Amino acid sequence: MSRKVCLLLCSLLILVLAACGGEQAPETIQIGAVVPISGSLAGGGGQVERGYQIAVEDINAAGGIYVKEFDKKIPIELTLLDDESDPNKLVTLLESLNSDQKVVAYLGGFGSGQHAAAAAIAEKNKIPYIGVAFALYAPHGQGYKYLFSPFPKSQDMASDIFAMLNEYLPEGERPTRVAVFQEQTDWGVELGDLWREQAAAQGYEIVVYEEYSVGSSDFTDIILKAKEADAELLLSLPTPPDGITIQRQMAELDYTPKFQFTIRAPDVPTWKDLGEAGDYVALAPGWFYGMAYDGVAELNEKHMEMTDRPADPIVGPAYAAVQILADAIERAGSLDRDAIRDAIAATDMDTVVGPVTFREDGTGVVNAPILQYQHGTIELIYPSEFATAEMIYPIPPVSER
Amino acid sequence: MPKLTPRMIISLLIALALLLLPLITDDDNILTLLLLTFLMAGLASSWNILGGYTGQVNLGHAAFFGIGSLITRQMWLGGWPFALSMASGCVVAGLAAAVIGLPAFRLKGTYFAIGTLAMAEALRITIGNILPTVTNLPTEVIRNYELAPRYYLMLTAVLLIVAITIYLNNSKLGLGMMAVREDEDAARAVGVNVLRVKMIAFVMSAFLAGMIGGAYAFYFVSYYPNFTFGPLFSFDAITVLYVGGVGTVVGPLIGSVFFVILRDMLVKNLQGVHQLVFGLLFIVVVLVLPGGLVEAWDRIKQYVRINQSPTKNQHRETKAQTYPGENLH
Repeated sequence: MSRKVCLLLCSLLILVLAACGGEQAPETIQIGAVVPISGSLAGGGGQVERGYQIAVEDINAAGGIYVKEFDKKIPIELTLLDDESDPNKLVTLLESLNSDQKVVAYLGGFGSGQHAAAAAIAEKNKIPYIGVAFALYAPHGQGYKYLFSPFPKSQDMASDIFAMLNEYLPEGERPTRVAVFQEQTDWGVELGDLWREQAAAQGYEIVVYEEYSVGSSDFTDIILKAKEADAELLLSLPTPPDGITIQRQMAELDYTPKFQFTIRAPDVPTWKDLGEAGDYVALAPGWFYGMAYDGVAELNEKHMEMTDRPADPIVGPAYAAVQILADAIERAGSLDRDAIRDAIAATDMDTVVGPVTFREDGTGVVNAPILQYQHGTIELIYPSEFATAEMIYPIPPVSER
Repeated sequence: MPKLTPRMIISLLIALALLLLPLITDDDNILTLLLLTFLMAGLASSWNILGGYTGQVNLGHAAFFGIGSLITRQMWLGGWPFALSMASGCVVAGLAAAVIGLPAFRLKGTYFAIGTLAMAEALRITIGNILPTVTNLPTEVIRNYELAPRYYLMLTAVLLIVAITIYLNNSKLGLGMMAVREDEDAARAVGVNVLRVKMIAFVMSAFLAGMIGGAYAFYFVSYYPNFTFGPLFSFDAITVLYVGGVGTVVGPLIGSVFFVILRDMLVKNLQGVHQLVFGLLFIVVVLVLPGGLVEAWDRIKQYVRINQSPTKNQHRETKAQTYPGENLH
């Protein structure tokens, strides 16, 4: 055999051995996120983006995620794209993350409509999807296998308010006459129905139930109905502009229920512009920077460096989404999408939003704190073990503040 | 058989390539991007019939797109055959235009534009109140979702609209529309029934927008019923048309490629400044090429013609013989 043929055979042998040596470790773990950085949802999308960025930086600073299949730590490469708050662009970009980046998982954006579209694409592409910042339960009712949301859902928000009042107040003092101002949106309908169910189950009576359209400018009619019915507890989930209008008109009409629980509208910093009229309102933004979980102090510190304020309400859940995904990849020991999906479903860990597990339908079992504006400052009032202040009840009328 | 011009051959080759593409690739990214390009091309082309050919600026075009998608989706998910659902969507959109057109055409110019915008917004809010919940394709459909049939449906719809606009370019009806666009009084004086022509253009434009809406209802996995009534669909269609070339057949097609594919490239490669860059490019196109990107092609042709002409004087003579409407492709 000539020397040349010998060399050729040796080279071939080396190639075959290399091919049999298993898959080479990728340089990075590809994760994709499509978030509304511009457009109407940009305010919330910006919070999601900051949460993801800080979390990825923290994980990569420690060398990345250990993947058993490759027996090494691999850093995360997060491709975060802006959908401009447009569901059409969201879908295109999710498809592109699948085709171009071959992402192992999607991280969600902001807003129920965006999540509903994105979760369907994740299901179609069989890619695990972790989404925060949507309390709407409906997408989970679709029976999706790849959708996970470690965020309080409508069910939690509907029951917790009554659970808190029943825990803190003796039976005779509870605000049992309830008014619901229901926004005519899917979340509004969903939560309104749940409030009705929960009120009846926990000894409360709905005396006023009024529907309104998003963007209305005059709420005097429904406020007067609540006032005339002597409603003691007011439940609503308006958008920030609607919520601020409602609050102003309640002050003008001198209507102050004994307790007011308003979801969504008081989450934004502009609520403080209401001054005394916006005080004492209880809110449930999904997370609070004052919660004493591991990592929250460090997260607040990093957020302070970026924005000069502690972490915003959605930054924590977004950070936790990355923590959950990293933990799942490590437990899966591989970058196989189905293995990661199964590992997410089996999550049982502590995060910056507290302990997280998932139900069969992909909803997270997470704490849903209730906060209250107290003299212009936000205080955590429920769950009691994390409370930074006692609940103020009954809330004083605006005219006496 | 009509003589095949180089332009016709190129168009047929592009159409053939688009028809064969799903057989060559199953990359959902490419197909989705093209599908959205067809969507914008279809919306812009259907708007073009009323806005570009007839000169009536309709800022509420999304209403007819929305009606088409709403009727199609509700009927289809309600168990009706898809073809019947989509046909109903088109017909209802066309009927809505007929009902709205009669009072709306009492308005002219800006007032007509604002009137149609107000109508679309009123519909969007009403639909949002009546149907507030998101509409999803059934989970089983999503799990077995095939993009290729959606791609073909949208492509067919666009090809049909293109065929109609080509017909309009060469028909009495189309000439009537253009006459109304140039000068309503003059058109009336030469025997054009102005209201009839406007009504036909409006109904045709709405019917075709409804058809694109029906294809969208078949394609999109999950959206709020009032989403398709949003003003963005009207304004995007108009933007596409002004980038491509108003009152032309190929303008909306070129404009949609610029609008969808270029934007997608900018989002992926210039994150953070993509909107600024796109806005600047849009301004440059509108300033440098007031007739849209189609004008660039005309200028290239003109340049070639000048260079090929034996003398510039000969070219001037040729140019002097052109007549209005020649540049309507």
